[in-house]
Amino acid sequence: MVRAYVMVKAHSGDADRLKAETEAVEGVVDAHIVAGDVDFIATVEVETPADVKTAAATHIMNIDGVEDTQTYVAMD
Amino acid sequence: MRFVIVGAGRVGLRTARALEDSGHEVVLIERDPTKVERARSEGYEVIEGDASDEDVLLSADLEGTEALGALTGDLSVNFLACMVGKHHGCRTVLRIDEDYREDIYRKYASDVDQVIYPERLGAIVAKNALLGGNIQAVADIAQNLQLVELTVSPESPMRGYTLSELELPANTELLAFGKSGDPLAIPTPDESLEVGDTLAILADYDKLDDVRQLVVGDAVPARGGA
Repeated sequence: MVRAYVMVKAHSGDADRLKAETEAVEGVVDAHIVAGDVDFIATVEVETPADVKTAAATHIMNIDGVEDTQTYVAMD
Repeated sequence: MRFVIVGAGRVGLRTARALEDSGHEVVLIERDPTKVERARSEGYEVIEGDASDEDVLLSADLEGTEALGALTGDLSVNFLACMVGKHHGCRTVLRIDEDYREDIYRKYASDVDQVIYPERLGAIVAKNALLGGNIQAVADIAQNLQLVELTVSPESPMRGYTLSELELPANTELLAFGKSGDPLAIPTPDESLEVGDTLAILADYDKLDDVRQLVVGDAVPARGGA
């Protein structure tokens, strides 16, 4: 099991839809709207490191209104 | 009244100046020593420290403060300062750094009473200056509502008519009127619109162009032109 945290920077104020679409991505267990340089932090729990990449770089990045993502894989 | 302004940069310092000009007491919080020095040399009371640290904020005596303006360029600091400020009974104003965030913070930041995006008004002022001298943005009242000051031009279709004959578009309101050279006052229906008279109008963004066309007219002479 691999856990990762994905910081999501948006360029749209449509936060409800972005949150819902992020949570609908396979492997995402939760997503929260945060204050600061990024707009969301999503938690991903998947089987392999490659699945993290699929969830973050492919699926979350492809949501309309998402500008950029940064992924941090948990080590403990 | 007493206000705490977080951030003594170009937005915070100017806000402090405007508040002091109106006779209010202002305390600034700033973490950059250079900016602290600059604000102090201009006579402001400045607390040096990081406003995301609750102890630093509390040293500004929030209980005796009417409102807190979190006006730094750092959204995390601004948000945390508003949370603490709200907890201690201040009204809170948060500066955002990108316009799409306006709706998000209005909706989700429950400890923030008002969200401001200084660049919005700056852009409107720049646009008005580029278009010509007969319309001036005074203030953003709400996201879709602006207070503008217009000057009647020789091309104005309403020139020669009285205020009672002036039919403004829906979602606009004439707030004040001044004859050329006179200060603005509460409008009275019998006054006539002549070249150089000024009108202060509250208008929905979508109606600004209609208002401009009606009061100023189509041809807008450039300032300093032939």
